[in-house]
Amino acid sequence: MLQPLRLIRIFIETSVRNETAYNANFWVGLLNSLLNFGTGLLGVIVLFGQIDAVGGWSFGSTLAVLGVYLTVGAVRDLFISPSLDSLTGMDGEVWVGTFDFTLLRPVDTQFLASVRRWRLFALFDLLLGLDVLAAAVTRLGTTLTAIHLITFLVTLAAGTLTLYAILLAFSGLVFWSPGFLFSWVFDGIFQMARYPVRLYPGALRLLLTWIIPVGVITTIPAQALTGELSPVVLIGSLGFSIALLVGASLLFRGGLRRYASASS
Amino acid sequence: MTQFQIIVQDLTKTYRVPEREPGLKASIRSLYHKTYREVPAVKAISFRIEAGERVGFIGPNGAGKTTTLKMLAGLLHPSGGEALVAGFTPWQRKPDYLRQIAMVLGNKSQLMWDIPAHDTFRVLAEIYHVPASQFDATLGELVDLLDLGDLLSRPVRNLSLGERMKCELAASLIHHPAVLFLDEPTLGLDVSMQRRLRKFIAEYNRRHNATVILTSHYMADVVELCPRVILIHHGELLYDGPLAGLSEKLAPFKLIRLALREPIDGNLPEGIHIVSQENGSLTLRVERRDTAAITAQLLRTLPVIDLSVEDPPIETVIDQIYQEGAI
Repeated sequence: MLQPLRLIRIFIETSVRNETAYNANFWVGLLNSLLNFGTGLLGVIVLFGQIDAVGGWSFGSTLAVLGVYLTVGAVRDLFISPSLDSLTGMDGEVWVGTFDFTLLRPVDTQFLASVRRWRLFALFDLLLGLDVLAAAVTRLGTTLTAIHLITFLVTLAAGTLTLYAILLAFSGLVFWSPGFLFSWVFDGIFQMARYPVRLYPGALRLLLTWIIPVGVITTIPAQALTGELSPVVLIGSLGFSIALLVGASLLFRGGLRRYASASS
Repeated sequence: MTQFQIIVQDLTKTYRVPEREPGLKASIRSLYHKTYREVPAVKAISFRIEAGERVGFIGPNGAGKTTTLKMLAGLLHPSGGEALVAGFTPWQRKPDYLRQIAMVLGNKSQLMWDIPAHDTFRVLAEIYHVPASQFDATLGELVDLLDLGDLLSRPVRNLSLGERMKCELAASLIHHPAVLFLDEPTLGLDVSMQRRLRKFIAEYNRRHNATVILTSHYMADVVELCPRVILIHHGELLYDGPLAGLSEKLAPFKLIRLALREPIDGNLPEGIHIVSQENGSLTLRVERRDTAAITAQLLRTLPVIDLSVEDPPIETVIDQIYQEGAI
């Protein structure tokens, strides 16, 4: 097996060992995830049992956006946030100086910082997201062609990469201001990705598509699923995701040079 | 030709630290107008270390020891100068370089707290590409040398400081590093645990010819482990050589301790300074070069029961440098 995959496997194993270290915590965590799953599912059913369309978007299409939002959010909670969040904040590694040990490892620091902590309870959230996506496809009533499915998977991957790039960039800012939780700023904005960007007024729509690209994260994959995505937007969003990822990596790596450790 | 493991030339580090006046007004002003000050931590130091050497970095708090160590480990980028460790520029942090070094930080932990240390070791073995057979052999050796026994199966959170420190050391050695940076490895440990760790470090150095660079505020660590010391003060290298040489260079005197049959009331010979006098015991300070002559004279003229000649305690010597800031 390739080393990155072997590393991911052992990080997952260790995270399971960590999550099961305290029995009570494990069962409470499990209960919490099941409750989230149940209430999330119920909320979707109740909300969309009442209405047929939102802002020109059919119920099925809006459900697709929500499904993508939940799926991408679950991937974020599965490993991106647990890993990157341990860098930031007042008890974060950069602030207290234990980031020294991450830098000492003979593995790419960005990779290590991004995949070393897993929260497997997020798999329930992933299940919820996939359920909502399945419900959306059923509601849309259109036949899901192979092209639609492939385009959807590609844009979903691009959306997830975009989310990762944004979080990486925010985490990278910790090297300029250790201790500050920049990802909080993003959390509020990410909530807006729950709905199609078309629901928002013009200027905000542009902002959410290309400046703080929550639209790329959720709306574009949903459009791919419903077959409403134009090739131009597809290529544009892919290019945008890659550019954002490169930019975020550069920012993070630039930040590493600024790392001043903590005094002994 | 001697192969140097570590070559350091004019290594310099200047920190840029934010400055703030006291008071509420200054706090508010600092929100929009931050002022910074340049603090030189390491000033153009140069030295060379051979493979297998054990070198102690000594100096008072804030001298620049840890900063130097962190630059050599690749954690900090220097503001100037050059360094080569095992043929690599440390701060480029090439994987082939990082596989050859390890760092132990006495006040920071690399172990995962909620699970046993053995789990951290397994992760490290994967990160450092240590094959399973080598991992088992190394772990066996470390368990034996450090007497880790059942510590490995207990959550790190439940270990004592000394037990945890043994596991920290073991974690750093899973990949058999050729260069070991130890920053205050015995910090906060009791005397017997300090001694055990020192014994282990010396044994590891002997078995694997690993280069060991140590900083410690416990002089016993330095005296027992490091035939060579590098003294840094205010970021400058003040001394590089054997510890005994430092004592000779800095304290050109010796202490003569005498036990006398009866107290003396007459004057002592010229050039003798009385350090302490209590009942029948007397401690004198004499110029190093006059020691032999004065000792003979004291034996001849005083009712001596016992006499010993000693170097001043290393703590006294070091304290003198820390206070005066120069040799």
